[in-house]
Amino acid sequence: MGNELNRRSFLNAAVSAAGLVAMGPLLSACGSGPAQRAGVGSEAALKAVLPAYVPNTSIKPDIPSVLGGPDVMTNPGFLSYPANRVATVSGVPGRGGKYSAVTPLWGTIPPADNAFYSAMNKALGVQLEMKPADGNTYNTIIPTMTASKRLPDWIQLPAWWNSQMNVGGLVGNQLADLTPHLSGDNIKKYPNLAAIPTSAWRTGAWGEKLYGIPSFATGFQIAGTLYYRRDLFDAKGITADQVKSADDLMRLGKELTDAKSGVWAFDDVYRYLYTSFGAPLKWRVDNGKLVHLFETEEFYAALDWNNRLAAAGYVHPDALAGDNANGNTRFYGGKTLISSGGTGAWNLADLQSGRAADPNYRRGAFNVIAADGKSTPRVYMGAGADIMSYLNINLKPEQIEECLAVANYLAAPFGSAEFTMVNFGVEGTHFTTVDGVPTATEAGKKEVQAQTYPFLAAPAAATNSPGAPQVTKDYLAWQAANVKALAKPVFWNMNISMPQAQATADAAQQVEDAIKDCIHGKKTVASVKDAVASWKTSGGGDKLIQWTNDNVLQKHGTGQ
Amino acid sequence: MTTATPTRPDRAARPVRLNWRVRLRRDRSLILMTLPAVVLLLVFNYVPLFGLVTAFQEYDPLAGIWYSTWAGLDQFQRLFGDALFWNAVQNTLYLSFVQLVLFFPVPIALALLLNSVLSQRVRNFIQSVVYLPHFFSWVLAITIFQQMLGGAGALNHFLRNNDIGTWDVMTNPDTFALLVSAQVIWKEAGWGIIVFLAALAAVNTDLYEAAAADGAGRWRRLWHITLPGLRGVIVLMLVLRLGNALTVGFEQFLIQRDAVGYDTADVLDTFSFYYGIATGDYSYGAAAGLFKSVISLLLIWGANKLAHAFGEDGLYRR
Repeated sequence: MGNELNRRSFLNAAVSAAGLVAMGPLLSACGSGPAQRAGVGSEAALKAVLPAYVPNTSIKPDIPSVLGGPDVMTNPGFLSYPANRVATVSGVPGRGGKYSAVTPLWGTIPPADNAFYSAMNKALGVQLEMKPADGNTYNTIIPTMTASKRLPDWIQLPAWWNSQMNVGGLVGNQLADLTPHLSGDNIKKYPNLAAIPTSAWRTGAWGEKLYGIPSFATGFQIAGTLYYRRDLFDAKGITADQVKSADDLMRLGKELTDAKSGVWAFDDVYRYLYTSFGAPLKWRVDNGKLVHLFETEEFYAALDWNNRLAAAGYVHPDALAGDNANGNTRFYGGKTLISSGGTGAWNLADLQSGRAADPNYRRGAFNVIAADGKSTPRVYMGAGADIMSYLNINLKPEQIEECLAVANYLAAPFGSAEFTMVNFGVEGTHFTTVDGVPTATEAGKKEVQAQTYPFLAAPAAATNSPGAPQVTKDYLAWQAANVKALAKPVFWNMNISMPQAQATADAAQQVEDAIKDCIHGKKTVASVKDAVASWKTSGGGDKLIQWTNDNVLQKHGTGQ
Repeated sequence: MTTATPTRPDRAARPVRLNWRVRLRRDRSLILMTLPAVVLLLVFNYVPLFGLVTAFQEYDPLAGIWYSTWAGLDQFQRLFGDALFWNAVQNTLYLSFVQLVLFFPVPIALALLLNSVLSQRVRNFIQSVVYLPHFFSWVLAITIFQQMLGGAGALNHFLRNNDIGTWDVMTNPDTFALLVSAQVIWKEAGWGIIVFLAALAAVNTDLYEAAAADGAGRWRRLWHITLPGLRGVIVLMLVLRLGNALTVGFEQFLIQRDAVGYDTADVLDTFSFYYGIATGDYSYGAAAGLFKSVISLLLIWGANKLAHAFGEDGLYRR
């Protein structure tokens, strides 16, 4: 199997975990500096500039997408790597320009000036100087670059850090407006970019203008879900599809927990379960009035259930001690049987890690439930893409066009000749095809990183797990079974720039702390209510609700 | 100044002060050698002090220090009205006090004990073993504690399998201070003995021989020779410790914050992190940090005064 795919898979897991915090509307803080801020744009004006969507049909997936509601569909799936690698770009896209690019990388940084970079430069027709930086500290590197106004020509700014990196303040000041090049039919000049779904372009739009170039766009973006050990459930004769309510889950907790053998039914599940109780992702509109999550009864019902789950002893003690880092280890080792996480966790790398601990390992996910077992099951959608790259405002229009032509190459669809080059390198040097699966050579493992070029631009997500098609089948079967449950939250896919005071209130650190203590059984629901009461008054919560109502809801609607 | 300073009658005569040019010529190689260290100190310790100005601003990283709005003492007003802040101050002082009482004597006792071991080989072995935990990161140290004493750890696994009930060590807020002190002792006590061992090595062994000849037993020698020999170092360490009273550690509390809850584990440093940096409220975090620095400065100044009052050297000789 392709090693690069593993690394990307790992990344997707990391991305999903980190992205969780930023799900729903993308909030960006901004202070009162001299820079002008791009706020939320008017819906009609934005619609007028969004790029046209021209799906690519040259490579047929083995499992086609299933449509849900508007902007919702399952990922297409590939059970094997296409043997006929079609070329989608004729000639070289570049004209010899020289550019620098900075991207985050969760893994080993490849050596500079390596053979893969040279081959890519040749294929792209530009001198693209790649400077991957450590993903774990990326959010602290970028603010220093922006403060000194020294951004590279092309930069990746993951959307879940929009607030911390103040992207809302950077667009139009340090990042280039791509609207003239990409709006409407203009994008047809770049057919592979035109094949990226509209909702992903919307994530990169600020104040009625297009700025970001999305990677890995998907029509099935959710924060995450509840997983279970399918192999162990099967062995016990438990059918996960029978779980229809929170009470069913509680009963499973009793049935599966065997503390004496060191097995607990649950790891932390609150973050991916609270909306099942009918609570909003963050905002809800009740009879025209904007209501925050912390003001809803359903939120407290969810807390109460999780509090009881912990008190009953069905949650692993290490999870209660706040150790989330080893959650996967517990799950792989069979110490917990039900866990939760981003959907990026379900892939080939997961299968390999799980099999290393238990040869029968198989991941399964519960269908989306409604806690009461009666209401319509619902899970809220995230933004159309998390990985977003931007061009420097100092580039001349012809340079921007050259970069976009390069982006078009990078966004070639799964299985195409260009995709193979970008993700696997040169055949013979960086990979060889073994049983139809591109397999990395030693040079490939060292030089080709799936998190470098694809972070500048990449096609819409296509699920694949070369060599282990069952993972793709399981995951897409689950997507198809739940695609109708996806719903747009209030302010879906809207980029909102808010002043610092509101951004701080939005982070609601004191309430988040109280929530953790409550779901770990250390504090009561009443203590969260106290924390919320103090958040509303002295923590700026009431002002945040007022501000959001006046500046977002009243001006721009719910975005649903 | 070219004239020699008058010597005080009650002190030994001071050397004549030379012209600065002469002194410069004389000491130039020494000065050159310290220059890199001074530059490092300036660049990494003194220049960043200007960042403190953000505590008086509504700091916006995009606008930068020069263009951020001036807020005067607003951040401090908010800070002093914040119950969570005072909770963090209280935790810091409490934890610091518990650690002072429980941790501070341990390296001294350990050094004395080690000093009494005659076999050099055994001494070296023990020394290496007790040093080792210092080189572990806090993540590792706490993981070891969790594996041993946690709810799913070795101890509770044993208790559970023998139906003795379980003992909640790692997530009990009431005994958290004892837990963190135990962790600090396990991790740092071995490292802490170095300076005391050095001081012990400096004690004149003739004194022991003379005392032994006069019939002084082991305890009398400890009381009348060893401890007085160590006194200067102990006071110095105590002064430094008091100056650092508000710095009880960061990672140790960051990692265990979720285990016992924020109201038990939040110290000033984690407060700055969670309520300042993590939420993008940099100025607020800077204000909390500045408050801590000012109090620390007062503490170290006071402790040093106290040391001088008792006739000890403290941080420097008067």
